[in-house]
Amino acid sequence: MSQLITPVLALLLQAEQPTTRGGVIWQGIQHPDLSKFLVIAALLFIIGVAGVLTRRNIIVIFMSIELILNAANLNFIAFSRYLQDAGYPNAVAGQVFTVFIIVVAAAEAAIGLGIVIALYRNRETIFVDKIDLLKW
Amino acid sequence: MVLSGWAAVFFWVFAVAALVAALLTILARNAVHSALFLISTLVSVAALFILLGAEFIAGVQILVYVGGVMVLFLFVIMLVNVSAEERGHELLFNRPAQVAASAIILALLSLGLIYAIRQGYDGLLKRDQDRITPAVVAAQPPTQPNATRVMRISQDTQRVGGSLYRYGSIPFEVASVLLLVAIVGSVMLARTTKQELAADDVDLELLPELIATEPELAQEIEKLAETQTKL
Repeated sequence: MSQLITPVLALLLQAEQPTTRGGVIWQGIQHPDLSKFLVIAALLFIIGVAGVLTRRNIIVIFMSIELILNAANLNFIAFSRYLQDAGYPNAVAGQVFTVFIIVVAAAEAAIGLGIVIALYRNRETIFVDKIDLLKW
Repeated sequence: MVLSGWAAVFFWVFAVAALVAALLTILARNAVHSALFLISTLVSVAALFILLGAEFIAGVQILVYVGGVMVLFLFVIMLVNVSAEERGHELLFNRPAQVAASAIILALLSLGLIYAIRQGYDGLLKRDQDRITPAVVAAQPPTQPNATRVMRISQDTQRVGGSLYRYGSIPFEVASVLLLVAIVGSVMLARTTKQELAADDVDLELLPELIATEPELAQEIEKLAETQTKL
């Protein structure tokens, strides 16, 4: 399968530099680079912020926070790979940071869900707009 | 860093899957569905990590997030009562004014981020122009063993582990303390009043108030007093 496709891909890849705007975009789609990863991570981050700002269910808000942390992880890994390709083969600081972010996210989820359980026991609700003890 | 060929195809597949599943996470009515969509987002992001050559982190992501954190989420969803939201008796989102305000904020945020990425990435490419050569990009095929019969994956994991212990050893130890604090803290937070009584950890001034809200606590206190006099 791949023996058949590789020459075709190679032919496609060695096409001349695109001149039209559509050609540039098509080349960008064929060869996703660092900026594409950054855009995907930014969109994930924005979806996570949207969940935090608009949802009422505190558990879904926690899940949105996990989405935000994952967007940050994706950025770290993408930059780590970019640096590895830019001539620093030992650039793994981004991956080490990601390990720590995952650890902190696990701790945060444990504490946060403990708070949710305690809150549900006291107030019988998990909707953030009904938990208004400290409103004014 | 430029992906091409099948890597590019898989990049678009997993990127779109991650974004769609993330959207469904915050839109789903049922919290269990939200959790399952979040799991598919996390798995897609792990696949993107593999495309970026960070196989170890992808494994950690699957093991810790999908295997640990999401199971915790599912347990908590089943412990609290979310059926009112499921059946449509409760609103899913905040009031329309709040949703509109956050939509404006998010539009500004996305415009700013996209602009910053475009500008910053051009600058970055200009800076590293001489460093990134196609030869570096087309380095050895990723899973073929090299001359010393060591796979690139194990080399990469070795490097991550090495710098984790060499440059990040103090944060590593602090992270273990953080996890210990998280364990103790969540056990403390999730205790019931009965369990607090058994551990002799209730404020005596608050005790009449607690008994007024939960009458069965009085029997519990008598039982505890009996066992203590026996001892």
